[in-house]
Amino acid sequence: MAMKALRFVLRLFFKRRQLDEDLNDELASHIAMETSLRLQEGESPEAARQAALRQFGNVGLVADVTRSTWGFTGFEQALQDVRYASRSFVRTPLFSAIVIVTLALGIGSSTTIFSLLDGILLRALPFPESNRLMMLWELPPQTQKPNVVNLSNFVAWRERNHSFESMAVFLGLPMNLLSDQESQQVPGLAVTADFFSTLGTAPLLGRTFRRGEYWTDVPREVVLSYSAWQHLFGGRPDIIGKKISVNVSHHEIIGVMPPGFGLPNNKAEIYVPQAIFMNEGRNYSVVARLRLGINPEAAKAEMATLAAQTALENVQMDSGWSATAVPLLDQAVGSVRPILLMIFASVGLVLLLACANVANLLMMRASGRAREICVRLALGAGRNRILRQLLIESLLLALLGGLSGVALSGVALRLLKGLLPESLQIPRLNEVTLNVTVLLYAAAVSILSAVIFGLAPALQSLRCNVSEDLHQSTRSVTSGRGARRALVVTEIALALVLVSAAGLMVRSFLRLTSVDPGFRAESVLTVRMMLLPAQKKEYRAEVVREMLDRIHSLPGVVADGSIGILPMEGTNSGTYYYRADRPEPAPNARPVGDVSIITPGYFDAMRIPMIRGRAFNTQDRTGSPLVAILNQSAARMLFPGEDAVGKRVKVEWTNNDVVEVIGVAADIRHSGVSTPPDPCLFMPNDQQPFPFTALVVRTVGEPAQLEKAIREQIRLVDADQGISKIEEMEQMVSDSIARPRLEAMVLTLFGVIALGLASIGLYGLIAFSVAQRAREIGIRVALGASRAGVFRMILGDGLRLTLVGGILGLAAIFGLTRFLRSLLFEIQPLDPLTLTSVICLLTFVSLFACYVPARRATKADPAAVLREE
Amino acid sequence: MTEPIKYQNRIEILQGTLDLLILQTLAREAQHGHGISLAIRARSGDLLSVETGSLYPALHRLEKKGWLDSQWKISENNQRAKYYCLTKTGRKQLTAEQNRWRLLVRAVTGVLDPA
Repeated sequence: MAMKALRFVLRLFFKRRQLDEDLNDELASHIAMETSLRLQEGESPEAARQAALRQFGNVGLVADVTRSTWGFTGFEQALQDVRYASRSFVRTPLFSAIVIVTLALGIGSSTTIFSLLDGILLRALPFPESNRLMMLWELPPQTQKPNVVNLSNFVAWRERNHSFESMAVFLGLPMNLLSDQESQQVPGLAVTADFFSTLGTAPLLGRTFRRGEYWTDVPREVVLSYSAWQHLFGGRPDIIGKKISVNVSHHEIIGVMPPGFGLPNNKAEIYVPQAIFMNEGRNYSVVARLRLGINPEAAKAEMATLAAQTALENVQMDSGWSATAVPLLDQAVGSVRPILLMIFASVGLVLLLACANVANLLMMRASGRAREICVRLALGAGRNRILRQLLIESLLLALLGGLSGVALSGVALRLLKGLLPESLQIPRLNEVTLNVTVLLYAAAVSILSAVIFGLAPALQSLRCNVSEDLHQSTRSVTSGRGARRALVVTEIALALVLVSAAGLMVRSFLRLTSVDPGFRAESVLTVRMMLLPAQKKEYRAEVVREMLDRIHSLPGVVADGSIGILPMEGTNSGTYYYRADRPEPAPNARPVGDVSIITPGYFDAMRIPMIRGRAFNTQDRTGSPLVAILNQSAARMLFPGEDAVGKRVKVEWTNNDVVEVIGVAADIRHSGVSTPPDPCLFMPNDQQPFPFTALVVRTVGEPAQLEKAIREQIRLVDADQGISKIEEMEQMVSDSIARPRLEAMVLTLFGVIALGLASIGLYGLIAFSVAQRAREIGIRVALGASRAGVFRMILGDGLRLTLVGGILGLAAIFGLTRFLRSLLFEIQPLDPLTLTSVICLLTFVSLFACYVPARRATKADPAAVLREE
Repeated sequence: MTEPIKYQNRIEILQGTLDLLILQTLAREAQHGHGISLAIRARSGDLLSVETGSLYPALHRLEKKGWLDSQWKISENNQRAKYYCLTKTGRKQLTAEQNRWRLLVRAVTGVLDPA
């Protein structure tokens, strides 16, 4: 049966032309026979033919109805429409190319951004039932900003909660790997045994840590990531059971995780076991899996209840602290959600603009074709048939545009993944692909845009009164003028919104770059590492001192020092500290601030001025009086209106020491350019050795030139000591504002595209109306209108549209103020400078778009124009 | 505007009877569309007229059903024309249609002139 139908279709398809000719012949023969019949009855040849035709009726309609009995006509007519449409595209290649390229740009950029949205925000994380995974945080008394967790609290939560089926601790650390050639430090995670089972992912090879094995004593075992196995160990299949040196002790490789495994914002090459110590400060992250049927809100509420208990039990540690749970996906992508949504919205606007332009083009063409359509209607074509044919034309254009758009988007994605700097820290970028969802989206967008840009022109062309329009002697039928003007006004409004947003982002970004971070970043090289475990803590300080001594004598080094956690890394260590000369404050009223552990040369190397007192020197070491330096904010916080130098401060650091303030340093922006300085207390590395260090080396000339020499000096101090990262400070500062830079760039790009599309739309409209009004203009000039007057008239027409569009656009910006404010740094959403310049730009561009057609109008020779008609 | 003009002095062909008329006309001899419409008009005493817009779709539909076959021939006036003739199933169908029509006529007559 199916075969028969198929054969029939094929026959129809191939015999189509023959059948058509056959039918035409048949009908012609009918008319011929009727004519000869009438001739025999004595009518004149002309009269006989006329009468035969009249009697027959509408030949086209009869043929059409007859054809409809052949079956499969819906499909066939569609094919015919497609053929007809393709022919008309080929006839007008420029028109078709412009439409398809416009749509390809619109659909392509929209698809690209959607694939980002899909891969980053929408798709589930690559863990089984990942919607049950949550991160647990403590909430400090004042700021309520999620804070890393204390291990004894973790143990309390784990034992008492009813919401989660499992919980695990993890801590991101560089891991010192030792191989035959050299040592290096790669990103790693120290995790408790439940980590892998909580995430629910089985290893690719071997096993993971055994459940509940070690709470105090950890086995010397490691689990590798897939990429570590491939790149660090050559993907050898017999890797399980091999011993490697991690942090200068031998560890056995027990498992390899599958490709793509990893927490979104904590990529690790190596997983090592984490022991549980009590009362060790707050350092750890916690991931947990909800029990089946428990909703996240209930879990969040239970966390607050549990934290209220621990706050009563452990006043010193927990008073005032609460706790919360955040879904893992929100945690991973929350920071990029607003920017992605904004880019998606703006790319949507660009697509709308592209559609508006295409609709405009189609409407112009439709006015040119109005007569053709009227003729076809007169010849008996059904209105539905014509409407369908026009829509199929639009659909075909949209699909061609969509296909090119998807191809474009494939290229764009590959470029994006390669070009987006790591510093942007866009989570899950590697999960972004052109998958089925994205392709469905592209198809839906194409069809939707076909409807958006195709329906209005199609309906407009059918609004034709056959007898009247055909009687008109003029060639043009000016219909749909209002709709086209409305489209152009919309385009101008949309462009104004996008360009203003772009302007605001650029201004905001320029503000960011002009912020003085408080130190001189240029010509500074930073060298980050985790210091190897040592028998005595003091040894770590000695190692740092020795490295700096050696680097100090390298040619080209101007100043050098070190700090525990560098500015612009986005984090810092911190604790409570308060005046020792007053009664100790209540546990929930203790002031909090950053703590930085530095060597004497740090301030000099970073060019941070001392405001009062002195910097550290080599005399501040073990055994000598404990000292500290405050930054201005900390001095203001602890000693408002007093001189801090000489005062004593209690610091809840490793040994809860009381230290003497010996100086006040200028504030710097440690956490990032856009964040105002926090209070900070500095202590010398020799007195409070820190497990991490970042060497800060100020050089003459290009800092990168010293990289090799510095590596060599460090190797000479300790051949086992690996380095986790060498980076120029200037780069770090610039990376810290990489996201706002990207936002400003992307929006500017879209703004320029939008402005271009809107001005093309305006130009097209005015040029078309000048062409349409040639006769009117000719008459005006013939009747004595001055050329300047005509010029003003055309220009004024365009500017009126710009004015209306501009007002609508401004209204939209007023509506968006709150959203825009959240994205801007020190710039108001209604920033007068930005808005004025954008309005000037828009006026200029639309003047330019109208200038050419207006000139053309004045050049018209009235005599020629009128004769032509 | 697009509707063909209706003949007002003739009887509209009853829905569904056109097939019967065509089959009946072709029962005697093969005929082309023009000939069929002339024959129907002549045999109905000028009362029935088949519009081309109904005739040709009907011919093509019947051919597709397999009741008719067609062939190009030269007419008596030396003109090329497409001749239709009944197939075997077409003949059977004609008998069925005739019976149906007679049944209908009897029924309608019964309603009009109650015995």
